Order: sequence, then structure tokens, then C-alpha cells
Amino acid sequence: MSKIIQLEAISKIYEIGDIKVPALNGVDMEIDEGEYVSIMGPSGSGKSTLMNLIGCLDTPTSGTYLLTSENVGEMTDNELADIRNRRIGFVFQTFNLLPRANAFHNVELPLIYAGMSKDDRQEKVEYALEKVGLQDRMKHKPNELSGGQRQRVAVARALVNDPSLLLADEPTGNLDSATSYEIMDLFGKLHSSGNTIVLVTHEEDIAAYSHRVVRLLDGRISSDEKQEPRRIASSTVIASA
Amino acid sequence: MGRKIRGAGRALWEGLIIANNALMANKTRASLTTLGIVIGVVTVTLMMMIIQGLNKSFQDQISFLGAKTVYVQRWPWVWDDDWWKYINRPRVTMDQYEQLRERIVGAEEISPMAWTGRSATYRDKTLDRVSILGTQQQHAIVGSTLPEYGRYITDIDDRSARRVAVIGVDVRDRLFGPLDPIGRNIRIASKVYTVVGILEEQGNFFGDSRDNIIIIPIETLFTDFGRVGRDVMIAVKGRDDVAVEDLVDEIRAIMRGTRNLKPLDEDNFAINRQEALSDLYDTLTGGIYAAGLIIGGISLLVGGIGIMNIMLVSVTERTWEIGMRKAIGARTTHILWQFLVEAMMICMLGGTVGILLAFAGGQLLKQAMPAVLPLWLAGAAVLFSAVVGLLFGMFPAAKAARMDPIQALRAQ
Ligand SMILES: Nc1ncnc2c1ncn2[C@@H]1O[C@H](COP(=O)(O)OP(=O)(O)O)[C@@H](O)[C@H]1O
Ligand SMILES: [Mg+2]
Repeated sequence: MSKIIQLEAISKIYEIGDIKVPALNGVDMEIDEGEYVSIMGPSGSGKSTLMNLIGCLDTPTSGTYLLTSENVGEMTDNELADIRNRRIGFVFQTFNLLPRANAFHNVELPLIYAGMSKDDRQEKVEYALEKVGLQDRMKHKPNELSGGQRQRVAVARALVNDPSLLLADEPTGNLDSATSYEIMDLFGKLHSSGNTIVLVTHEEDIAAYSHRVVRLLDGRISSDEKQEPRRIASSTVIASA
Repeated sequence: MGRKIRGAGRALWEGLIIANNALMANKTRASLTTLGIVIGVVTVTLMMMIIQGLNKSFQDQISFLGAKTVYVQRWPWVWDDDWWKYINRPRVTMDQYEQLRERIVGAEEISPMAWTGRSATYRDKTLDRVSILGTQQQHAIVGSTLPEYGRYITDIDDRSARRVAVIGVDVRDRLFGPLDPIGRNIRIASKVYTVVGILEEQGNFFGDSRDNIIIIPIETLFTDFGRVGRDVMIAVKGRDDVAVEDLVDEIRAIMRGTRNLKPLDEDNFAINRQEALSDLYDTLTGGIYAAGLIIGGISLLVGGIGIMNIMLVSVTERTWEIGMRKAIGARTTHILWQFLVEAMMICMLGGTVGILLAFAGGQLLKQAMPAVLPLWLAGAAVLFSAVVGLLFGMFPAAKAARMDPIQALRAQ
């Protein structure tokens, strides 16, 4: 299988005044296309920092990052923006939806920045919302949706431009456990249909759904193991959440 | 390429929608912010309306002088030298008028004019000071002073110095009321004149009625009110096919001859024309223009700074949103444009409100003074507001566009 992510000796050091905070300290990691990886570790171990680097939202202090063999470190701001727009879908712990826009418009945003025509957008947004089981909630605003539904809107937004990589930083962190399982169910399905997924969590329960667990400790990888993923009990009807 | 342009169009549209939503969410703030722009636009627009109105009324007022007519006189209408230079000049005389009339070829008509101010009486009614113009028959054409009814003064009247008068409508109204004045006798000072005609209404010249006038034969004026020491003014109406400049040159040459000037002598007479007044007017209103521009400019500057301030607040408040938009692939230019459009929309809103207010104000103003609102001015005001938005929105928008996505997302 071809490699989608190659990290080599990645370090990230934050400077607050004179104090240097090393968030990542020489991380080497490769992720293949089609993998489902969870990144675990205690709070402050560098999980979010790593995700932001993988998601091209941030740049490392040192080290190289190849995304499908292209060196991200040599890219311009516009090229990075286009990569975030077309090749990476990012799901945040806090959903990050526009409060005044309805589900449809929230999902539509990346397509607008991609310069897609209205008709094409309509089709793709409907398809993405269908995938997450919210085809009948398109006109609802975030405050008219449950937490799980909001996160599914965010997942639909991440998926809508057919990215090769889906990143999620603690996507269930703000959800109750029942709703968390629904979201994990959704991720499982997306993985089965061919998406590469990298997910940050500090809950073993959530990590159990993935095929590989990378553990971080103080900005270093402490373990990296493949595992047999937990099966989702039944293919519950997601749309009913 | 086409795809790129369509993409830009969509980004623009999206910018408009976002801006609109942002404005709707903060209606009070947006309207307060636009106040500066509103005031600026109202000031500039009202100034412009007044100036345009003044221009039009000025042109209307001086139009009776005639674009093709020049006036030969001892004094220029507009001067910047000392008055004594003119006071010692020899007068323009009837003799010089005769010679000019004899020789000139570029003129369609030419008439002498002499003025005095006298009282006019009909029975028990007296007007204290009426302008008495002595002239000749052809002045009806040269000075466009045609009789509305009755007749004008004639060459025969002039040669025999008859006491006949053509009166202006003000004189008619105030002396005769509803009576028909033709054939009735009035007294000018102590002399008895017969009214033979009524002038067409002449209108105003800067607040002075030009209808408070009595026209009599110039010879009669000399006979009754004195010839010695009286200035004569010669009105020359140029032919349509002769340029005014050429007419002036010809008059100048003839007048220099008849006034015995040597080649190096300065002219000791003036050839006045409408244009001299327009020039003077332009220098006077230039000051008003400048003042208007400065006041308007300051208001717009204040308004612009208000916009900049509110946009900075808006950028800070929506830091998270900017981070999110960047995270899902908005380019720097998308964010820049979003905030520029918002600033421009606020300003254009202010501009539109300003124009409407100025228009309403202009309607009121019209009661008191001339005011004109040309359509281009309305368009220009709104456009200019957009430019103010663009200029003052640039800094906040650039601040937003330059934000680091991660830092911005943390602002939640
Ligand atoms: N912008 C920042 N400035 C300074 N220090 C930071 C910044 N972001 C993260 N850190 C520090 O880097 C370390 C790793 O943070 P983070 O990647 O958020 O950890 P995690 O997501 O695993 O909780 C922490 O010590 C945190 O305080
Ligand atoms: Mg974190």
C-alpha cells in the first residue's frame, strides 16, 4: 500500500517568552493509505500538536513531513490552504460550526472555497449529509441539532470535498458515551468505504475501534501497535440519533 | 482561467452573504458605525447640491448679458488694480459710439446705454428709485429687451428727444396695478413721459429685480438729466459667425484709434463680457468648494476611522471563525475579501442613507436657496463610500487574513 503520511524527526517547540516548551520531540511515523489510526496519550503529550501538523494547519520547528510524497515544508500558504480544502478533512472536538448558518451551508463552505458551481455543490452537500444520516436536517441550524448531530454535520463538512485523509481531534470529547458510539460507528463505516482516518482520543474505548494505536508521551512516540478493531455491535440506524 | 474567474465570483458572492449576515447580527452597531459616513456624505452632498444650485442660478442670472455680447466701458467689471487708475480715464462718449458703429464689421447690432436713477410717479403713487436706461431702438435686440405689448422706443423718438417710456413689469405693477398703462403719463423726476410699451419680464440679477426699470430714448435722457460727465456704455452684439475674441480685437483696435492711443499706451477703456463674471464667480466658489471638500473629507476620515475600529472589533470577535474558515481551506484572499466586503457594505449603507438624508435636506433647502441633486452625485457618493470602506477596511481585513489558523482557533 502507498504511504500517505511520512513524518521524519518532527519537532515542535513553542516559545513563551524565554521558556521553550517542546510539544513534539523527534517524531517518526508513517501512515498508509486506508489505515485507521488512533493517537493516544495523556493530556499535554502533544496529540493536538501532531494532528495540526498532519493537517497542514501548523508547521514543525524541524523535521520533514511528506504528504503523498510531497514535501509540505516547501509549500506556499495558498498551496497549504488548497491541501486543507481538497485533500484533508478535519473534525474538531468543539465541532466549529457557524452558529447562524444551517447544516447545508456549513457543509457547503469548503466547496465554496474550492470554487465549485452551485449545482455541483448542491449535489455534493446532499450526498455528504446523506452519508452521515442527516439528509432531513439540512435546513437546521446548529442550535436546533443535538451534540451528536452537530458532530455529524462537522464530519459531513470534512468529507464533502472527497479528501484522501480524515483527521479528528477528540471528536467524541464533547459527547456523551451513547452518542460517541454513534460517531465511532460512522467512522467505522467511512473507513470500510476506503477513507484513511487518523483520530486523537484519550479514551481506550474509542481507540479500540481503530486498527492501530500510536501512543505519545512527552512529545515522543512511546508505542505503536496494530490491533484487531472492536466490531460495532450491529449496524445501527445512525439517522435516528 | 474561466474557472478561476467563476471561482472569484463565487467567493465575492459568499463574501456578500457573510457580510450581510454579520451586519444583520449587529444591526445597532452597524448603524452607529455608519453615522460618521452618513454625516460625511450628507455634508459633501449638500455642499455639492448648493454649489451646483448656485452655478445654475448664476448662469441663469448672467445669461441676459448674452454670450455673444460685449460691453465697452470706462471700468472693467472685475479688477484687481487700484481704482484711481480707472477714475482718471476719459469717458466713453456718444461720439465714440457713433464711430464704432460706423466702422465695426463683426457686429450684428450695437447700441449705446446711459443710466440714471430717478423717482417715478403716477398720480399719487411714487417709486423712489427706478433705474432709467437711455438707449436706442436696436437695444431691443442687443439687450434682449423686447416689449411684451405696446411698442419700443424708436429712432424718431431719439432724434426728437421725445418723452416716451417703456416700463418694466415691476414699475407697471406698482404704479398702475390692474390699469393698462399704455398712453398714460408718468413723471420721471419732474418730467412728464408717456408710457408706450411694457417690457417682457426680465428676472433677477443677484437679488435685484431687473424689472424695476424704465427705458427712454438716450437723447431724451441727456436732455432731461444731463449730458456732461455721463458715462456711456456701448453694447455690441457679435455676429453668429464671428468669434467673441475676434469681435473684442476689432472693437479694441477701433476704440484705440478713436481715443487717440499710441501703440505703446495701455488701453484706457474696458471691453467687458459675461465670461469675466464667470471667472470671478469661479474664484469665489473655489473657496466654497475647498471648504466643502475639507469638511466632507474630515467627516469621511472620522467615519472611516470608525469603520476601521468596528472592523477590528469584528475581526477580534470572529477570530475563531477566521481560524475555522482557514482550517477548511479558505485562502488568505478569501478572508481578506470577506472583511473588505463587509466594510464596504457598511460604508455603502451609510452612503445610501446619507444620500437619502441629503436629498431630503436638499428639498428643504430649495425653499431658501437654489439646490440641484444630479444623479451622478448620488452614484458618486455611494461609490465613494465604498472606496472609504475599502481603504479603512484594508488594515482590519489584512489583520484577519494574516492570522495563524491554529492561534485563531484557540480564541474560542
Ligand atoms: N500555542 C501554544 N503555545 C505554547 N505552548 C503550547 C501551545 N500549544 C500547545 N502547547 C503546549 O504543548 C504541549 C502539547 O500540547 P497539545 O499538543 O495540545 O497536547 P494534547 O493535545 O496532547 O493535550 C503542552 O505542554 C501545551 O501546553
Ligand atoms: Mg489536545
